[in-house]
Amino acid sequence: MTYVEYKQLNPFQRFAHNFKKFILNIPHALASFFKAIGKAIVGFFTGIGKGFKNYGVTFVKGDWATKLSYLIFGFGDIHKGKYYKGILFFLTEVLYALYMIFFGWTYLQKFNTLGTDVTKQGYNDLGMPVTEYGDNSMLILLYSVLSIVITILVFAVYIANIKDAYHHQVMRAEGGKPTSLKHDVKEFLDGKYHITLLSFPTLMIGIFNIMPMLFMILIAFTNYDQQHLPPGTLFTWVGFDNFSSLFNFVDSATKATTFIELTKWTLIWAVVATFTNYILGMVVALMINKKGIKFKALWRTLFVIAIAVPQFVSLLLMNQMLQTNGAINILLSYFNGGVNPQIQFLNSTTLMARLTVIIVNLWVGIPYTILSMSGILMNIPEDLYESARIDGASPVKTFTKITLPYMIFVTTPQLITQFVGNINNFNVIFLLTGGGPSTEQFYQAGRTDILVTWLFNLTMGSQDYGLAAAIGILVFIVCATLSLLIYNNSKSMKDEEAFS
Amino acid sequence: MKKILAILMAGVLTATAFAGCGGGGESSNTNSGSSSKSGESSATGVNASTVDYAYFGNEDNVKLKVWAPDAAVNLVKKQIEEFKKTYSEKKFDITVIAQGESDAATQMLNDASAAADVFSLPSDQLNKLVDAGVIAPVAKGFTDFVTTSNSEDTVKAGTISDTLYAYPETNDNGYYMVYDNTVVTDEDAKTLEGTLAACKKAGKKFIFDAGDGFYACTFAFTAGAKIDGFEEDGITQKFVEYDEDAAVKTLQAFAKLIKDYKGTFTSLNVKNVASGFKNGTCGAGIDGSWDTKVNKESLGDKFGAAKLPTINVDGEDKQLVSMFGYKYIGVNGSSKFPNSAQILALYLSGEECQKQRTEELGWGPSNVNVQKDKVVTESPVLNAIKAQAENSCTQVNIASTFWTPMGNLGNKLVADEWKPDDADATRKLLQDTIKNVRDEG
Repeated sequence: MTYVEYKQLNPFQRFAHNFKKFILNIPHALASFFKAIGKAIVGFFTGIGKGFKNYGVTFVKGDWATKLSYLIFGFGDIHKGKYYKGILFFLTEVLYALYMIFFGWTYLQKFNTLGTDVTKQGYNDLGMPVTEYGDNSMLILLYSVLSIVITILVFAVYIANIKDAYHHQVMRAEGGKPTSLKHDVKEFLDGKYHITLLSFPTLMIGIFNIMPMLFMILIAFTNYDQQHLPPGTLFTWVGFDNFSSLFNFVDSATKATTFIELTKWTLIWAVVATFTNYILGMVVALMINKKGIKFKALWRTLFVIAIAVPQFVSLLLMNQMLQTNGAINILLSYFNGGVNPQIQFLNSTTLMARLTVIIVNLWVGIPYTILSMSGILMNIPEDLYESARIDGASPVKTFTKITLPYMIFVTTPQLITQFVGNINNFNVIFLLTGGGPSTEQFYQAGRTDILVTWLFNLTMGSQDYGLAAAIGILVFIVCATLSLLIYNNSKSMKDEEAFS
Repeated sequence: MKKILAILMAGVLTATAFAGCGGGGESSNTNSGSSSKSGESSATGVNASTVDYAYFGNEDNVKLKVWAPDAAVNLVKKQIEEFKKTYSEKKFDITVIAQGESDAATQMLNDASAAADVFSLPSDQLNKLVDAGVIAPVAKGFTDFVTTSNSEDTVKAGTISDTLYAYPETNDNGYYMVYDNTVVTDEDAKTLEGTLAACKKAGKKFIFDAGDGFYACTFAFTAGAKIDGFEEDGITQKFVEYDEDAAVKTLQAFAKLIKDYKGTFTSLNVKNVASGFKNGTCGAGIDGSWDTKVNKESLGDKFGAAKLPTINVDGEDKQLVSMFGYKYIGVNGSSKFPNSAQILALYLSGEECQKQRTEELGWGPSNVNVQKDKVVTESPVLNAIKAQAENSCTQVNIASTFWTPMGNLGNKLVADEWKPDDADATRKLLQDTIKNVRDEG
C-alpha cells in the first residue's frame, strides 16, 4: 500500500491496516529475535574458542613463571614484581580450595542425585528422640548452585590471572615496570570509576536476584512437592515432567485445563485491566486539563487522594463491601424495598466476579494514570495547538493528531510495564476475590485466579514447589516475549527523536 | 575489573567459608551434646508432667521459641513462668510468639530451623510434618504417661506407624451450633429446618461458612461421603463406600433449604457470628470451639449451644456430620535443645496446664482427669462438642487436596445460580469433588 492510499483510508481502516501489519510482523519479529539469540550463541562459542586459543598461545609464549601461573594463581605477577595482585590471586585460589574441600564439594558431589541418604529418627539413652540427619535435597541444590557460581567466578579470576601474568611478562620484556598499588587504587577513582560505583550493586543483584533465580529455575526440574519434602523425604530430578503436566490433557487433565484456562484469563485480564485504566484515566485527565475548567488543582487532588489509602487496604475494604451482607448490598436494599438483594458479586458466576474485579481495579488504578497523564498533557507544547487552531483544525482533529500521538509515544514503555504488572497483579486478585468463585474443574485455583495467584496457592497451599517453579518460568517467558515484541515495534523505540 | 573481582571473590569466599564452618560446627555440637550424656542415667518412665533433672542431660542456658495461637499467648506465657519455677536449677530463655495453628505446619515446612522449638498444631497436619521429617516424636520415657493420661482417641490420632509424634493438647477441634436462645429455642435447634425457620421469623441470619472446606465438608459427610484416612499409597484420600443416589438427594435437600431460606442462610466467615450476635443481626451460626469465648461475651445470658442439627431428607431426619479433630503440641526435630523442648511440651500438655486452658479459654481437654472435672461436664459447649464428636470424621490424615474442592462444593450449593432440582448437576458436582480430593486427573 502506498502512502497516498494509506492517507485515503478512514481511521478504522487505518487501525485495521496497522493491526494487520503488527500481526503479520510478529513472525518476522520472532524470527529476528531468534536470529539474534542464535547470533549471540554463536558469538558466545566463538568467544570461548578464542579464549581456548589464547589460553594455549599464552602458555606456549609464556616464560616459566607465567607457565606456573597456570597452576598457582598469581605466581607470574609476584615474579614480575606485582606483589599485591599476585597475593590476592593466590589467596583466591587458597580460599576456593578450602571452600571446596570443606564445604562445597560435600554438596556438589550429590548434585546429580540430590541426595540418597534419608534422615532417620532415633532415641538416645534418655529415651529422647534424636534426629540423625541424612541428606537434604534442598540444601544440596542450594549450596551446589552457590558452589557452581563461585567456581565460575574463580575460573574468571583464573583466566584474569593468566592474562595478567602474560601482560606483565610482555611489559617486563619491553622494559616497563608494573604499576604500584597506590597507582592502581587511584585508577579506581579515575579511569575505572565505573567499577567502583557499580561493583556493589552488581554483587547485591548477584546474591539476592541471580542466585535465588538460578535455584528456583532448577526447582522446576525436580519433583519437589508434598510427597517429597526434605529432610524427611528427598526429591530428585525429573526433567521436564512439571512442564509437560501443564500441557498433558490425558494424564493430568485437571492441571492442564487449569493452566490453559488461567493463561487465557490472565491475558484477558492484563489487556482489559491495562487499557481500561489507560483510556479512562486519560479521559479524566483530559477533562481536568481542559481549558476553562475551574479549580483544576482541587479535582486533581481529589482524584489522587485515592492513592493515599494503601492499595491493599482499599482492596480488603472492597472485598468486605462486596459480601452479601456488605455495604453495597445494603445500599442496594434501599432500592429494593428494604430487602437485601443478596447479590453474590465475588462468588457466584464467573462473569460477575471477573467484571467486579475489573471495575474495582479501575478504581484502584485510574488515579495513577491521571497523575502521569496530567504531567504529560501539561508538557505538550502550546504552539502545536495554536498552529492547529490557526489552520482551522477541529478539537477532535487536534486530539487525534497531536494529543493522542504524543501521549502514546511517551507512555508506550509505561503501558508495557503496566501490562506486565497486570499479568503479575497479585494484590487485586488475591485480596479481592481470593481466586473465587471456586470450581471443581481447576486444580487448586478458582475462576478469577491468574497464574501468579495460582502459583501462590500451589506453594503455600499444596506445596507443589516444582510445578509452581515451572509456571513461574512460563509466566516469565510470556512476559518477556510480549514486552520485547511490543517495545521493539513501538514508536518510542523506532523513532526516539520524534517529539524532541 | 580483575582486581575488584579478586577482592570481592576473596570476600565472598571468606564469608561463605565461615558460614559453612559455623553450620557444621553447630550441628556436630548438638550431636555430641545428646550422645555425651549417654552414661548419666538410664531412662525410666515418668508419671507426672514434671520430670527429673536427669532428663535435661547436659542442657543448660536453654533458649526456646514457642508458638501458640493468638488467644492463648498470655496464658502460655504464664504457664512458662510456672515451668521456669518448677525447674529453677536450670536457666531458661523462652520466647512465646503468636502463630495460628493452621499455618504452623506450613511455616515448619518452609524452614524448620527458623521455626519454633515447641508449637501447637491441629491433627490433620501431623502426617505432613512426619513425612517431611521435621517433627520429633514423643520421648520414649514419656510415651506411656502421655498415652495413659490422655483420651484414647487423641493418642490414636497422634500415632503414625506405631510412634506417638505429638503431645495431645485438646479434644475439641470442631464446630457446633451456637444460637441466641431468645430467637432459636432448644427444640428448634435440633433441626436445621427449625433453626432456619426461627431465624427467618425473627429476621435474623443463620451463618455457616460454606466456602471454607473445613466447614463445607459437612455437606459431603452428611451425604455419606465420609473420609477414612489414606489409600495404601499414603497420599490419596480414601472415602468410605456410600450410596450415591442417597448422597445426591441429601445435597439437593441442603441446596433446597439454602434456596428457600435465602437471606437467612448466609455463607460468611465465622468471625461474623460473634459480631452478628453483638449487633443483633445473627440468630444462630456454626462456629468453632475457639470462638466460644467471644460468642459468650456477645450473647451473655442468651447463649445457647448444641450439636449440629439434623436435616430432613425424604422425610427422614439425618444428623449433620462434621469434621472433628484434636490439637497437639509438637517438638521441632531440629531443635537445638531437644531434651528441654520435650520436657516443656510434656509440661504444657500436662493436666494442670490443660485445666487452666479449659477454665480460661474454654478449650476441651484431652486429659482424662480434666475431662471428668466439672468445668468440663457442666459446660454446655463442651457437651455439645462431645455430642457432635460422636457424629464426625476425625481430622487426621487429610490430603492437602481435600480443602479446596470441599470449599468449592459448599460455594456451589450456596451460589445463586445453583438449581437444587438438578439431580444430574448435583451428581456431577459430587463426583468431581471426590475426584479432585483424590487428585485423579
